[in-house]
Amino acid sequence: MPDIIVTTREGVEQTITAENGLSLMEIIRDNGIDELLALCGGCCSCATCHVKIEPSFFDKLPSMSEDESELLDSSDHRDETSRLSCQVVIDDSLAGMRVTIAPED
Amino acid sequence: MESSVRIQEFDDPSYNPFNSDGVNFGEQDDPYMLIEKWRAEGSVLEGAYRSRMGLEAALYPDRKMFTVLGTPEITAALTDPKRFSNAGYKFNLGITFGDGSISTMDNPEHGRWRKIFQKIFLPQYVKKWGETIVDPVVHDLMDKFIPRGEADLIEEFTLRYPFEVIYRQLNLPEADVGTFQRLALGQTDYVNFDKAVEAGRKLGAYFIELVEERRKSPGDDLVSLLASTEDGGEYLPETVLISFLRQLMNAAGDTTYRGTSILLTALLEHPDQLDAIQADRSLIAQAIEEALRWDGPVLAQLRMATVDMELGGVHVPAGSLLDVIAGAANRDPALFTNPEKFDIFRERKPHFAFSRGAHICVGQHLARVEMTRALEAVLEHLPNLRFDPDKPRPQIKGSMMRVPHHLYVKFGK
Repeated sequence: MPDIIVTTREGVEQTITAENGLSLMEIIRDNGIDELLALCGGCCSCATCHVKIEPSFFDKLPSMSEDESELLDSSDHRDETSRLSCQVVIDDSLAGMRVTIAPED
Repeated sequence: MESSVRIQEFDDPSYNPFNSDGVNFGEQDDPYMLIEKWRAEGSVLEGAYRSRMGLEAALYPDRKMFTVLGTPEITAALTDPKRFSNAGYKFNLGITFGDGSISTMDNPEHGRWRKIFQKIFLPQYVKKWGETIVDPVVHDLMDKFIPRGEADLIEEFTLRYPFEVIYRQLNLPEADVGTFQRLALGQTDYVNFDKAVEAGRKLGAYFIELVEERRKSPGDDLVSLLASTEDGGEYLPETVLISFLRQLMNAAGDTTYRGTSILLTALLEHPDQLDAIQADRSLIAQAIEEALRWDGPVLAQLRMATVDMELGGVHVPAGSLLDVIAGAANRDPALFTNPEKFDIFRERKPHFAFSRGAHICVGQHLARVEMTRALEAVLEHLPNLRFDPDKPRPQIKGSMMRVPHHLYVKFGK
């Protein structure tokens, strides 16, 4: 059960104990941070669960599909640290990872 | 464009699909008042939405029916596909649009095909259609009435432009357009079910021939694009492609026509807000979202319970059909203060007009582009827009797919 550090749009930091096997989106929302929307319910069909992830953890994340990348392209706030949090599955290798909620589109 | 594809009219030349709103959707002035009353009784109530509204409804004597009104229950029904399946749509949409309609499917099959449509309708791609297709359509229609200084913005504009956009996207032969629209609207005339089935069959036959023609000589139209787009090496199966094309008129035309009509009516009824947008076009986006929240066309989705469950304190047996009233969430006072008030300046929160979950409207970005272009053109070319004082005011009616049938305006000096 790794700890993930989430920063909200207001800059508030919250440490979350995440359950392995759930998506990053689910654990953020389950911990009451509902400014992270997930309008499609986590199906890789929108871009409302957009987060920025600290680069040192990139090689531990599942690789980004073309579908995810095209959805991220629809956001005005995409950069090289962007991921859709519904596509990131929690495991112990992500302990200590820092995640920021992307600005709203 | 010269085409050998032939479209067939309805067998009965006196049938008019444009008159089907009343029987299908009813004449309710304000279904939201009933919705609020029912919600006070419970978040989930027995009985189908249409029946509760006093409308002719399909009967399913082998299963129970429920109406879901509470926001947490609505959200669960739309975002928990394990417990809430789309299979219920096989009884209606699946018959008229064909069993390749992804609205009738669940994941993983649903997602496999939806991904392919989604690619084409991403916001960064539909933006281009705003310039190449939507703008010219809007301006062609407006040019016909601008010189008069008065118009019926429904009959002469909102009823026409979304369908015209689709015809141009599909590059339909001009001669076929009139019949095409009649068949397309007839497809969802469920109260006249024989007509809905006839329309679906004839449109299906038409699209099968059109797809074959475009596969032989592909163009840059939407039919050619859909026939050639793949995701991870998978193309759309024929049945899925044909069903989608049949559904497009309802999903893309009918909805956008009604949504734009409501937007313009609401702004005319709140001239201070119309003036504010006239002075500051950056308010257009939030005006569109507010119109969709306040009275978006698709008030309800249908789901089927896959397991026995307790929902909103009510026992729902497996196999039950649920009318999930997304429009109720849009008018939930816990989410939206004074929800009955049309207010483009309210605190911005996501609405349910495009639904939620895996089946969230795949055309939402195009809908926004179309409504934006329509409103921009209205602001640009119809200054001093006001109700025509010599004609009746618009009356928005229906239990869903609400619309006023006329919006008489004057503009200019």
